[in-house]
Amino acid sequence: MTFSEFFSDRLRYIIFQAVFVMISALFLLLTGTQTGIVLLLFLIWLLLFLLIQTMDFLRCRAKLLELASILDGLDKKYLFTECIPKGRTIYERKFTELFRQAGMSMIGAVSDAEAAKREYREYVESFVHEIKTPITAANLICRMTDADTRRKLMQELSQIEAQIERVLFYARAEHPEKDFLISQHSLSELVAQAISQHRTLLIQSNVRVETKDLEQMVFTDSKWTVFMLGQLLQNAARYRSTHPVICISARQLKGQVELTVKDNGIGIPSHELSRVFERGFTGSNGRALGGSTGIGLYLCRKISSLLEINLQINSTEDVGTSLTLTFWTRENLTKM
Amino acid sequence: MQKVMIVEDDPVIREELTLLLKNEGYFPLAVTDFTTIKEQATKLKPDLILLDINLPGQDGFSVCASLQMSGGAPIIFVTSRDTALDEIKALSLGADDYITKPYTIPVLLARMKAVLRRSEKKTQTSDILEAKGLTLYLTKGMVSSATKSTVLTRNELQILACLMEHAGEIVSRADLIETLWDRQIYIDDNTLSVNVTRLRTKLADLDLPDLIKTRRGMGYQL
Repeated sequence: MTFSEFFSDRLRYIIFQAVFVMISALFLLLTGTQTGIVLLLFLIWLLLFLLIQTMDFLRCRAKLLELASILDGLDKKYLFTECIPKGRTIYERKFTELFRQAGMSMIGAVSDAEAAKREYREYVESFVHEIKTPITAANLICRMTDADTRRKLMQELSQIEAQIERVLFYARAEHPEKDFLISQHSLSELVAQAISQHRTLLIQSNVRVETKDLEQMVFTDSKWTVFMLGQLLQNAARYRSTHPVICISARQLKGQVELTVKDNGIGIPSHELSRVFERGFTGSNGRALGGSTGIGLYLCRKISSLLEINLQINSTEDVGTSLTLTFWTRENLTKM
Repeated sequence: MQKVMIVEDDPVIREELTLLLKNEGYFPLAVTDFTTIKEQATKLKPDLILLDINLPGQDGFSVCASLQMSGGAPIIFVTSRDTALDEIKALSLGADDYITKPYTIPVLLARMKAVLRRSEKKTQTSDILEAKGLTLYLTKGMVSSATKSTVLTRNELQILACLMEHAGEIVSRADLIETLWDRQIYIDDNTLSVNVTRLRTKLADLDLPDLIKTRRGMGYQL
């Protein structure tokens, strides 16, 4: 609060005071008081008035600063109304009380929402675990049918699996802290896991996967990384050209390793490239093909920032898309 | 025959696993009473135990701990719980492997084999395959007939190995591709054709032309 703000706030009061003083002075002059005495009285009044106003201003400013510092120190800003001191004047006290009531109702609503979200997440997690049992059973039963039916059923099942996996990671990405385990892994191992998880889709799409220079160790969480790679492989298989090839290669940098997943698919129009990591963004390719959810890359970006992996995308229409993940090769203690 | 104990509370999976393992040449022991797992294990002396975590009564972790106390068979956890914590807990309790559902059959079988091999501590000398007058040296990457021998590339080696393992049978292209993907060779249909053609040329050099027959619409046959 600046002085001019304070001044303009009190302008009405000050004008009223000035008018009152002028009328008083006029009355005194008319009733025969000497001009000198009136002037003296006026000066005394002016001094006192300025003094009181300045003190008011300073106190008011100190109070606001105190409130600002309380707000600053709070982790959850909406608890502010619980932390402010009771007011000095009756007006301030009433005002604070009203705010406190509003705050209470908000705190209640927030904690209800958080509890509901946690319960929902727990339900989703338990649902995913439960649903895996019948999928496993179905996988085993498939073996009994003839090769053609088996292959078709396996394709459907692997699609179900992929979708369910995404649901699980979507729920987990909200509260990732309880599920991290950063340790050293070999890139070739992680890539092999991701490919094997999605082999049904990749084989069905008649994709050839080339791997190159993957004998490198990186520090990351294996489960989340395999999930991310899986999303990239699924995208590459989905948005493929007629002779799809996915090339997965790694490059050693200083203290880091760059893993590139490159396809020769239909590519992404340049004006859409900046938006592909947005939640729910499907783009012209997704709309043309249908069944796109706009969740895969959104989750990749979220997970990669949690794991402190740098994720970059490059794409040229009709030429292909490449995604680059940059991992740390040594333990980076800040991320734990 | 190696005995594999199946501790799984879902009846469908239990039955299917029993059938699968029987077909694969194991002797499956399906547990249906989950209160006396330890006693059954001591009595039946399995070579391997497949253990689920979510079981009626006690969970798989405590079963695993009590089985380890009695110093029994190697244990593979097969479960739908896939958090890092569960895996660490399982492995720290002395489990030999941890597979999450849904798994594919080849993966399950391969990891069972690996654990069994480790526990038996005997080196398997299955790096030589013989069929139809051919001898394939898997570790050396060579194939030889009675008189000559030649070097194969990784892809050719695995294709031939797969055909020789099923000598006489028709192996469909799809099966062949799936097998190769399991062995981390990620090829497409065209590449398979190219590799088979090259393999035929090499076999012709060994004076064995037409050894790999194309069965139209069905696949290849050695």
